[in-house]
Amino acid sequence: MATQLKSDALMEQMKLHMSTDTGKQLTKKIGLVYQINIAPKKIGFNEKSFVVDLKKGEVKEGAYEDGKPDATFSFTDDDFLKVASGKMNPQFAFMRGAIKIKGSISAAQKFTPDIFPKPSKM
Amino acid sequence: MAMRDLVSGGAACAVPGSSSSSNPLGALANALIGSSSKTQERLQEIPTATATASDGNLHSGMGEPFNAALPGSELEYLPPNAQGSEFLRGFHSMDQNRFSDAWDDIQRPQIPHFQGRTGPTNLPLEHARLQQDFDGPPQKVLSNFLHSFLHSGHGSMPFHPASLPVLGLSEGDKQCIRDRSSIMARHLFADKSEEFIHTQVNALLSSLDIDNDIRARGPIPGRFPELEEYWTESQHMKPLSGGADGWASEFSQQLVPHDNPNMWAQSFERQHGANGWASEFEHEHLQLASVDQMRGTGIPNLAAMEQTRMLAHTLAQNNDPKFQNSKFLQFVSKMSRGEITIEDNQFKPAGISAPGDWAAEYEQQHSGGRSWADQFSNEQLSQGPHGWANEFATERGKQGSTEDEWANEFSKLNVNDWSDEFERQVADGVLGDSSGDNWANAYDDYLNEQATLKQKSDASRGVYVFSDLNPYVGRPNPLKEGQELFRKGLLSEAVLALEAEVLKNPDNAEGWRLLGIAHAENDDDQQAIAAMMRAHEVDPTNLEVLLALGVSHTNELEQAAALKYLYSWLRHHPRYSAIAPPDQPENLYYADVARLFNDAAKLSPEDADVHIVLGVLYNLSREYEKAIEAFQTSLKLKPRDYSLWNKLGATQANSVQSADAILAYQQALDLKPNYVRAWANMGISYANQGMYEDSIRYYVRALAMNPKADNAWQYLRISLSCASRNDMFEACDSRNLDILQKEFPLI
Repeated sequence: MATQLKSDALMEQMKLHMSTDTGKQLTKKIGLVYQINIAPKKIGFNEKSFVVDLKKGEVKEGAYEDGKPDATFSFTDDDFLKVASGKMNPQFAFMRGAIKIKGSISAAQKFTPDIFPKPSKM
Repeated sequence: MAMRDLVSGGAACAVPGSSSSSNPLGALANALIGSSSKTQERLQEIPTATATASDGNLHSGMGEPFNAALPGSELEYLPPNAQGSEFLRGFHSMDQNRFSDAWDDIQRPQIPHFQGRTGPTNLPLEHARLQQDFDGPPQKVLSNFLHSFLHSGHGSMPFHPASLPVLGLSEGDKQCIRDRSSIMARHLFADKSEEFIHTQVNALLSSLDIDNDIRARGPIPGRFPELEEYWTESQHMKPLSGGADGWASEFSQQLVPHDNPNMWAQSFERQHGANGWASEFEHEHLQLASVDQMRGTGIPNLAAMEQTRMLAHTLAQNNDPKFQNSKFLQFVSKMSRGEITIEDNQFKPAGISAPGDWAAEYEQQHSGGRSWADQFSNEQLSQGPHGWANEFATERGKQGSTEDEWANEFSKLNVNDWSDEFERQVADGVLGDSSGDNWANAYDDYLNEQATLKQKSDASRGVYVFSDLNPYVGRPNPLKEGQELFRKGLLSEAVLALEAEVLKNPDNAEGWRLLGIAHAENDDDQQAIAAMMRAHEVDPTNLEVLLALGVSHTNELEQAAALKYLYSWLRHHPRYSAIAPPDQPENLYYADVARLFNDAAKLSPEDADVHIVLGVLYNLSREYEKAIEAFQTSLKLKPRDYSLWNKLGATQANSVQSADAILAYQQALDLKPNYVRAWANMGISYANQGMYEDSIRYYVRALAMNPKADNAWQYLRISLSCASRNDMFEACDSRNLDILQKEFPLI
């Protein structure tokens, strides 16, 4: 089993989020399927894949089975959190090589921090 | 005065007792080109002509190896070289008059009508004239005095202390003059001995009645940081003359009709603190450009190349990594090494088809030089600690030719399709008109991010970052004050007072603990952790500290660490330590710890704390329902614990029960109105429900209480974007709370 990622928590929250009204609106607004590969330390090593399906409104672990995702991203654990929380600008992260992208550019551009729900702090 | 005399000083310039012969032009060149000793070596290497016989024995008595840009100096050091001699001939024959005109005009700013003068015949008269002008308005006196100081250096004359009328220099002025003159002295007299420099400067300063502590100054290689410092100082200097900075601007004022020698003074005037060298370079470029203009040939570029090399070298000597890595340095080095290589002491052009070519090329580079240097110096200003070139270069190094990967990535993206798609999109305007702006904004954001990341890096490594300018430092009992402020809910103030306390008593566990709590409530988990770690060091058994550490690490999703602290809590608890196995297991398995806690809870169902820890533990494993249950149990036992309400709310929010969460937060805020974290959490809950306008108000409220809550700033921006309030981006990016509060009040 892959190591525990911080991003697990975020994905979990996203999964729950999809069942809310706001989450459902995302499917209308975006309607694309993203695969996100997250590596603990270095991109490409020990990756865990998640599928954020904004067509059906689901978040699943594992690679996308039903065809090809519209865009595939590869991040490290920390970087994904930074992008999702708005701490890191995705365009810039891409230019610095912190994100790898495959697939449709327009789909990739729609992958912004506001998709993700934010974690609350105890 | 013949050129020879100008160079060799002639009788008129000779001063009794001077050990080295005077060489005004040589010193000028020296001043222009710089005084690093390496420069001098390099300058030597420029071939100088023997064929300047017509100009007499120019190098008679030239002991100094510094004026290779001038004809006829260090012949004994170099074999003559056809190219060099051509250059020198050109130099000699063409505009010696103009050159010396320029020189003279520098020397005599108060005599503008010398512009049209043809011959450098007045050099000896200068002295007399300057001496005479020590009466008159203070600024004139001072400027004349300073000019003669300069001149004395060029003539290698010891500078005579002169009794000057009271000039009314303020302390700041004096300091400025002292510093500047010592720099200038080094600059001008670099070929002379340290002693000479000291004597000259001392004479200057004693005349001006300024204290001298030049001996404290470092050696020349350290000159650049010094220089920067001095120029920063000088920027604060009160003007001696109307509205400008001292004598440098006096030069420019009085030399305004002139183009060429002016550049020098003007460029000094334009210097900013950190850009001393950039504008110095600029000025030297201009000087060269002007020299070019005078000549109209490409040959002086040789000297220019040398100068550039000198500059590159001097820059390279600077230990600042910014310089080492900068593209500027590389560029300069490249320029200077362009077509020329140096072997031993020979100066050899390599692989040039014709002298004219590279000269032309260099001129091209040259003409861009000024704007480029300007641009660069501006960039340096705006980019904070790291130039982008440096940053980019290091990033690329780290990523291992990102460019290649990027290119590969794009090729994999089936470029044809992509480009078609892109075209279509651009046509459709999908990318938006502002995509270019977005990129530029993104770049700015990136720079800001880099700047803040640098500040944050300490905190993220667990090192506590103290605030500057703490008014509570030095007070008799900061701990008490801190506690009082905390109780009143003034979290940021409490932080300052508590910092004062722990600065005073670093072993005060309570001080650190409260500091940690204050930060957590202020929504800064990184500082909270840093402070709590210190508290933990001082007192490893304190349960509150252990719990707080567990909570903060859970918030930061550091699961292993959180588990460790929560387990520690159990082991150090007087009642439950028996439950835990005697030795700490190597790897804590979540399931084991959870089980232990459940046992403990059964043991003492009335103990709220156990339930709280259980609640936090369940958050770790994302068993939110169980967590909620645990918190609700403890809330029954401790209903007035505002922090507990917040924990409940956060758990609910994270399990997407946002409406309930808001109710819980409201309870917390009723108990503690200044609970920044709860305000921020409110914002999050609204945003997660898509109620962006509301979320903005809550974020702004939280930020008004703690402007340092970085998370909240990021979230605010996202909410602004979702609410299509891009007009407020600027206010957000510049952290302008006034505007934001006005625009988004909370009723």
